[in-house]
Amino acid sequence: MSVEAPPAVAVDRPRRPAPSLTLIAGLLLAAAFTVWAALQIDFTLAPLWRNFSNGWVVISQFLQPNWSFIFRVWDAWVETIAIAIVASAVGVLVGLLFAFGASRITNRSGWMYRTVKTVLSVIRSLPDVAYVLIFVALVGVGSLAGILALIMFNIGIAAKLTAETIDAVDPGPLEAADAGGSGTFSRARWAVLPQILPNYLSYCLYIFELNIRASVVIGIAGGGGIGQVINVQFSRFNYENVAAITVAIFVVVLLIDQLSQYLRRRFV
Amino acid sequence: MIRLEGVTVRYPNGVVGLDGVDLEIPDGQFVVVVGLSGAGKSTLIRTINGLVPITEGSLTIDGREVAGASKRELRDIRSSVGMIFQSFNLVKRTSVMNNVIMGQLHGIPAYRSLVGAWTKEEKEIAFQSLERVGIVEKTWTRASQLSGGQQQRVAIARALAQDPKVMLADEPVASLDPPTAQMVMKDLQRINRDLGITTLVNLHFLDLARKFGDRVIGMRAGKVVFDGTGAEADDAVFEDIYGRSLTAEDTLPGTP
Repeated sequence: MSVEAPPAVAVDRPRRPAPSLTLIAGLLLAAAFTVWAALQIDFTLAPLWRNFSNGWVVISQFLQPNWSFIFRVWDAWVETIAIAIVASAVGVLVGLLFAFGASRITNRSGWMYRTVKTVLSVIRSLPDVAYVLIFVALVGVGSLAGILALIMFNIGIAAKLTAETIDAVDPGPLEAADAGGSGTFSRARWAVLPQILPNYLSYCLYIFELNIRASVVIGIAGGGGIGQVINVQFSRFNYENVAAITVAIFVVVLLIDQLSQYLRRRFV
Repeated sequence: MIRLEGVTVRYPNGVVGLDGVDLEIPDGQFVVVVGLSGAGKSTLIRTINGLVPITEGSLTIDGREVAGASKRELRDIRSSVGMIFQSFNLVKRTSVMNNVIMGQLHGIPAYRSLVGAWTKEEKEIAFQSLERVGIVEKTWTRASQLSGGQQQRVAIARALAQDPKVMLADEPVASLDPPTAQMVMKDLQRINRDLGITTLVNLHFLDLARKFGDRVIGMRAGKVVFDGTGAEADDAVFEDIYGRSLTAEDTLPGTP
């Protein structure tokens, strides 16, 4: 196969555009900020090696977990799972209502849409631990504070994810509902909800997973459950008990992740 | 009676959808609207139930003004105007029954509709509507499991469940194969004859337009350029409406 040689005179081929100066300047700026931040806090990994001998006592205790302790705190496990179930159930239901208010598709009133959006931003602006501290101050240490904190956290996530799904629904059934003179609530229930249901169920399972994981931190901050046990054992220097609990949490979270992935595949 | 007087529609992007259209459609007529895409057929159909708001002019259905109607009035007017679409617009993840009942949502209070507590009468209306399009055996099937032609029939049943005085159809057969397209058009015609429902259908196949249109309205650039019977609409008329000579794509393939 013979290919003719290209013409000697170069034709006007489009030139590759020059690299963007803004991009280069931006990358340099980001690098400069990172270096500045590290210098600012004297960032170094040296203590990791220097203090290793001090930590060896702790680590050797950690390496001999007291397995029987896992079952001695059975009630705390049940409490953790119960907190996650109650908080997920309430959180995703309230979140669904908020989601309908936070999408232009289902909320056609401008001021109501902006109000719901603002309320959700405020709810999401606090991390879960901050909510525990607030509710511990309000209702005292215990599972109620944990449940209330997780509910706030769940409303924020469920509403945001679901509202974005509502924004992306097929507009055809909405048009049909409008053409039939349907009201706002009926339209949301019948033209929108069936379309978002699979995604919504998937978010519910995801939020339940998050809640199991979060319950450790929640408990340490005073929200009850297995986190509280960890807190107590830590302050009594019973590292072999903490180690056993840590491994057990790892297993429980893994199991629940698997279960929820299986359910998601089945129903979605 | 549907009456349009000097109806102009200007979209927010400046495109003129309708340009001073005057029309009078008496009760019970079967009207086919033809024209190239972008000629304003779809806009015309959608202004009648207020899905597209009009910029100038007046549009009345049985004397009720659609243009200046409040939200509540507009919903009320729409409840007596059924509509079917090119892409059927069914909720695919729910049963045929629920889809057909969606045509009656206007008259069902929210507290019942939210939990899906339909009354015996509402279900009976749905059954009757499905019987009229010959698909009642699919009542409890999921809409996603139906073929295109079956889905369009469910959509017709949904519109019938509204007990409409007017039926609007925006390119109802454009997504269907030729034999199914013929059947759906026949369904629409039979419903028009049996129930006396004023029917407006957008089409771009000229043979279907001639065959089914008691009256054919031709549109070009937002204006009505032809208004006559199906028999009057010969090839010359269509060439004028389309502004070009006719091709094989202008007729439904596979039909004489």
